[in-house]
Amino acid sequence: MDFGVFMELSVPRPWTPDSERLVYENALEQVRLADALGFDYVWAVEHHFLEEYSHCSAPDLFLTACAMQTSRIRVGHGIVACVPEYQSPIRVAERAAALDILSGGRVELGTGRSATWPELSGFGANPDETKKTWDEFVQVIPKMWTQERFSWKGRAFSMPERAVLPKPIQRPHPPMWVAVTSPGTEIDAADRGLGCLGLSPGTFEESERKVAQYRARIQNCEPVGHFVNEKVHTINFLSCSPDREQGRRNGLRVASSFSYMNAQLLGAKEVLPTRSYLSDGLLPALRRESGGPGDAAKAFTGVTMGTPDDVADAIGKWEAVGYDGINFFINFMEVLPQQCVLDSLRLFAEEVMPRFKKAPKREAVVAGVA
Amino acid sequence: MPLAGALDVGPLLDQAPEVRLAGDDELRIDDVDILQVIYELGASDVEALVPPALNPTLPPVVSFLVYRAKDSAFGPFSLVQVRLSARAGVRPRAFLVSACCDNPAAAQALATSWGFRMQPAEIQLRRLHHRVECQVIADRRPVLDVALVNPEPISGHDVQYPPGMHLARARDDDGSTPYIVQVESEYEFRRADRGRPGLTTFDAAWWGDERLVPLEPVSASFTACNVTIHPVRYICNPDIPAHEGTVKVGTS
Repeated sequence: MDFGVFMELSVPRPWTPDSERLVYENALEQVRLADALGFDYVWAVEHHFLEEYSHCSAPDLFLTACAMQTSRIRVGHGIVACVPEYQSPIRVAERAAALDILSGGRVELGTGRSATWPELSGFGANPDETKKTWDEFVQVIPKMWTQERFSWKGRAFSMPERAVLPKPIQRPHPPMWVAVTSPGTEIDAADRGLGCLGLSPGTFEESERKVAQYRARIQNCEPVGHFVNEKVHTINFLSCSPDREQGRRNGLRVASSFSYMNAQLLGAKEVLPTRSYLSDGLLPALRRESGGPGDAAKAFTGVTMGTPDDVADAIGKWEAVGYDGINFFINFMEVLPQQCVLDSLRLFAEEVMPRFKKAPKREAVVAGVA
Repeated sequence: MPLAGALDVGPLLDQAPEVRLAGDDELRIDDVDILQVIYELGASDVEALVPPALNPTLPPVVSFLVYRAKDSAFGPFSLVQVRLSARAGVRPRAFLVSACCDNPAAAQALATSWGFRMQPAEIQLRRLHHRVECQVIADRRPVLDVALVNPEPISGHDVQYPPGMHLARARDDDGSTPYIVQVESEYEFRRADRGRPGLTTFDAAWWGDERLVPLEPVSASFTACNVTIHPVRYICNPDIPAHEGTVKVGTS
C-alpha cells in the first residue's frame, strides 16, 4: 500500500495577516515529517475563491516548496484544473515539467475539472464544457512532454508547432491521474490509462465494485500517455493515537469539519441545469452520511482513526477492496493542534505503515506490455 | 467554520404567517409550469441576509421561482417566490424572503400550512417559443420582470429546487413561537427547458429586503410537472444553528 497526505490548505476565520502563512508553514512542516517517515505522496489541490475551505490556488508553488524541503516523497497535483479559462494546457505541461526537474523526478499529475459554481463562474468557464476540455488536456499534455515540438488543432485548444519546454526528467513522463468524484469517472480513467485518484468516500461494497470495474476496463485502454498508470487510490482521515477515544475524537473533528465545510460549497449542478455534472461531486456522499436535515455530517465507513490497530484494521479492509494507496487528510481548518497532527503521523509510521509495506508494489505497466 | 446567518428575525415576525403544524397537510397540484431564474447577489454583508439557523452560500444567489397551476383544490393560481440559497447544517436549502399569489384561497392555504409569507399581486406567465417571461404587478406597478431567453430542452432531473425554509409563527398553548419551517416538495417532470436568464425589474423593497441586488446572471429553467408539497416534517429555531435547533414535528 502507498500512503500519502492530502493538502487543502484551509484557513479558518477570523483571518489575521498571519493566518495563511501559518497554515502554509504548518503544512510544510507536516510534509517534511511525512517525507522523513516514509510517506509516498503529498498531494495539493487546486481551488480558487473558496473562502476558508481551501486557499491553495497556486499548488505548483506549494509543491515546489515541498520538493525543495524534502528528498524522497512524491509531489502530486491533486488535481490541476483542466479548464482552459483557468489555464492553458501548455502552462500545465510547462509548470509540471519544471517541478519535475526541481524535485528530481517526483511529480505526479492529477487532472480534473472544478465542480463548484464560484470557481467555474469566477473564471467565466462554461460548466457544460469541462468534461470535454479535460479530455483534450489529458490528450495533449503527455504529447507536449514527449514530443520535441508539438502542434495541435483541437476543439477547445489549438497551437502552432512549438517546443514546449522544459521537458520532465521522468521517462517517458510523470504518471497521470484523474480525480474521481462523479459516478463513471473511474471508467473515464480506465479508458485513458490514467490512475484513479479517489476523492469521494464510499462504502466497501461500492468501492469494490468500482475498483473491479476499473481494473477490468483498463486492460483494454487506449492510454493517453506512453504508459498505463494502473494505480487506484482512495481518500481517508488519519488520526492515530495510543488512546482509542482520543484518536477517534481527533479524527472525527477533522472529518466533521471537512464534511461541514465541503457541504457549504455551491455546486455547479445546484444552480445550473447541466448534464456535464451528474452529481454534485463529494457533496451527495457527505450529505448521505448525515442522519437528518439538522444533523452535522458524520464520518463515512472505514475511517482510519483510533489506535494503531484500529487504523491498521481499516486499512486492511481498503486494501482488500483493491486499493493501491490511501491519501489522508491529517488536519482541516486547523481544528487539531500541529503537535497532535505530527504525533499522529509519527505513530502511524512507526506502528501501522510497516504492516503494509511488505507486499511488493504494483508497478506502472508500459503501454502494450503486460 | 463557515459564515453563519445574522439576520435579526424580530422585525420580520409581524408579517410571518401563523402556521398549523397538524402534520398531515399535503397539496398535490397536477400540471404546473415552473419558471426558475437565478442570479448571483453581491456578497458584502452576506451573513445579514439569512437567520442564524442557516449558513449563507458564497456567493449568495437569489432565485425567482414562479409556479403556474392550471388547476388545484383552490382553482387556478400563480405563485412567485423570492428565495436565497443557504445551508441548514450540511443540507442545501432556500430561505424564503417573500412570496405573492394571485388566488386568495391558495394564498391562505399556503401561508397557514407551509408558512409562505404572502402578498397579493397580479402574476402573468407567458410561454413563447423564444422566451418564457413572468411579470408581477402590485400596487399598479411592476415589481418583478424575469425571463428565460432561448429555451432549449433538457432533462427535468437536471433541475434542482431545494426545500424552502420559511420564517413563521407556530401557535401553541403559550402563544406563538417563531420557527423556520422546512417545506419539502416532490416533482414529477414531464418537460424541461433551460436558457439564458433575464431580469429587467426587481423591486427588492416590495419583496421585503431592499439589500438584495441581483448582479450576475446564473441560469434559467422552465419545467412542466406535477408538484406535491408534503406535510411539514421539520422545524427549527431561527436563532441557533440548524444542526442544533432542528426538531421533528410532533416530537418536540
